Amino acid sequence: MEELGIQILKSAVSGLIMGLVFALVALGLTVIFGVMDIVNFAHGEFLMVGMYTSLLTSPLLGVDPVLTLPLAGLVGAVLGVLCYFGLIRFLLRGPMIAQLFGTFGLMIFLRNLALLFMGSEPRIVHEGWLVGKSILVGPGVVLESTKLAAAVLSLFSFAVVWWFINRTKVGKAITATSLDAEGARYMGISTEYMNALAWAVGGASVGVAGGLLVNFWPVEPGVGLLFTMIAFATVALGGFGSVRGALVAGIIIGFIVNLPPVWDAILRSIDAAGLRGLEIHSFKYTMVYAVYFLIMVLRPQGLFGWKQ
Amino acid sequence: MRKIALKAAIGLLAVMLVPAMAWAAPKEIKIGVIYPLTGPAAAAGRELRAGAELAAEIANQVMPGINMDMAKNAGIKSLGGAKLTLIIKDHQGNPQLGADLAKKLILDDKVVGILGCYYSSVTKTVSAVCERYGVPMINGSSTSPTLTKRGFKWFWRTTPHDKWFTKDLFEFLVGLTKGRAKGVKAVPMAEINTLAAACEKTEWGSNVAIEIKNFAKEYGFNLASNILYAAKSPDLSSEVQSMIAAKPGAMLFASYTSDALLMIKTLKSMKAKPKIIWGQDAGFDKPEFVALGDDIVGILTRSVFLPSVVKMKPLSGQVNELYVKMMGHDLGGASARSFTGLQTWVYVLEKAGSTEPKAIQAACNTISIPGAQLVVPWVGIKFSTKGEEIGQNVLGGGLIGQYQKQKDGKIGLEVVYPFDIATAPMVYPFQGY
Repeated sequence: MEELGIQILKSAVSGLIMGLVFALVALGLTVIFGVMDIVNFAHGEFLMVGMYTSLLTSPLLGVDPVLTLPLAGLVGAVLGVLCYFGLIRFLLRGPMIAQLFGTFGLMIFLRNLALLFMGSEPRIVHEGWLVGKSILVGPGVVLESTKLAAAVLSLFSFAVVWWFINRTKVGKAITATSLDAEGARYMGISTEYMNALAWAVGGASVGVAGGLLVNFWPVEPGVGLLFTMIAFATVALGGFGSVRGALVAGIIIGFIVNLPPVWDAILRSIDAAGLRGLEIHSFKYTMVYAVYFLIMVLRPQGLFGWKQ
Repeated sequence: MRKIALKAAIGLLAVMLVPAMAWAAPKEIKIGVIYPLTGPAAAAGRELRAGAELAAEIANQVMPGINMDMAKNAGIKSLGGAKLTLIIKDHQGNPQLGADLAKKLILDDKVVGILGCYYSSVTKTVSAVCERYGVPMINGSSTSPTLTKRGFKWFWRTTPHDKWFTKDLFEFLVGLTKGRAKGVKAVPMAEINTLAAACEKTEWGSNVAIEIKNFAKEYGFNLASNILYAAKSPDLSSEVQSMIAAKPGAMLFASYTSDALLMIKTLKSMKAKPKIIWGQDAGFDKPEFVALGDDIVGILTRSVFLPSVVKMKPLSGQVNELYVKMMGHDLGGASARSFTGLQTWVYVLEKAGSTEPKAIQAACNTISIPGAQLVVPWVGIKFSTKGEEIGQNVLGGGLIGQYQKQKDGKIGLEVVYPFDIATAPMVYPFQGY
């Protein structure tokens, strides 16, 4: 029973940390959707670009990968603005399906561009303040430094974005644009500028996330997909466009994917030999999507969604 | 009269020439080669391609420095010196694309046979196409045991498969407890009796998990945790937590590169301390994995070829020298097996003396290539023609290598199993994180 208690504690901590990481990755996606009603399929590729930015610039500048985070954010923001003015602006004139296929095409384009220049082999950061470090916080509860830093960055980013959207004039203009673009235009708000700003904020947040994650995760051109699927579930679960929703949903998903070790500990504590074969690790993402499905059926706008 | 005689002579000559032309040996023999040249396994694809190309190069010209039959002739001697032409295609890791490429190679390019495909899932669909068209396929590098359990008449596999490799692992563990490992005193059984495994949930990984489960039972080990995880997962911490909680003596993995890297990083972050970590090749045998440096010292991986084999097999050294000139690095598991796959094609064609599918089929079923001809440390190549596994080479064998720090400070693989050919003392226990 003691083992079960420790395992629950371990899974809770691990779930919370990983949930904050998922939320961090999903933040940019929900900002862009909230403002423009556009689902950015290339979101994971922005993450990949952020990861490569830190991986490549850190040895080039001779600094720790953590110090390249502002650069990764800047590259993400510039990429977001470029994508907006070069592609998304034109897609907005077309039907919804054109927007979907447009960002999907952007995803394929960025991924193959990375494949061309970076090759397909996964790469890792070998040295850094966060690389290979972890902290023992309790009986058997170990926190990986990069994940912990990403969790702290996640909380910080959410606070900044929340403050920016709710407490600043520009943020209110963004909210106005997302509520009624035409009305906002009549009020003298440059919606074009607001849209570009949303892409810049979205790109920057996921760029920084990428720059930090590369301290732990290997990067390859297809790495975005691993996180995008979870990011989509996070955003949809929390409610499209809701910043608070993305945070809560990320944490819920973090907890769900950390359930299997608790289940294993329960089986061990009751010594259920017959249930030993019933391992649920391979179903952990199935559980995430099952919860997502349930929420969609019971509350289609998501947990905190305000857009139908 | 003279005109009639001339016409008759021309006619006779024509009649004599027709069959002679029909039976003339072809100048080139096309072999279709299907490998993953782009996509997640592109790095392995490059090695596989280079291995096959080097074998074709040796077969197509006389190479006095190589102590191998196929290096003594230019081309296939029994086919009038016909040269091999490889038509190389990229399946991108996609089984459907692989099947389409196989059809194209058979129908449009009129290949004599096919070599491929590395991914077991692609080999499965490609071999099904070959079976349908009655075209021979030789596989050198796919290790799913099910491939040779289908009773196919046109499919032959040179590499040992996962069942053999997993059996090697358990033989190794038992040997370790009996003090048979070089440089290690007999390890108490209680120390390594409990096992925890994590295999990716794919055709290959699922089969490895089944083999581990079966052999653990057969050899009397306690498999406390046998996890199938979603391949290319963004987070493996829950899997690692469950494995550590099982307090295993040995942790066993079947993972491709990015998962293998993430797995080691997660094990390190959670300060795992098993006595043994073993990987079923794939991600555990790639340059990116080796780049993890000190974190992998002591980790074991199964393989069919390790650079240290060169120390005990001069022929491997001769071929390896050419490979290093070509690629800038040593032969590895993928390239050596691909080399052997194409080499088998050369010996089969030589024996068949014909490009007719039936003749090739007969040659495959009766061929016997001695181990002395091979770069891989096997007894030889001889395909099973009856029983449970039709088309499987019964003379193959696996190796278990251990990452150790070499004298020059680099991390390299040393053979620790089979015990009698170990190239260095084994490091036991694993240092832990």
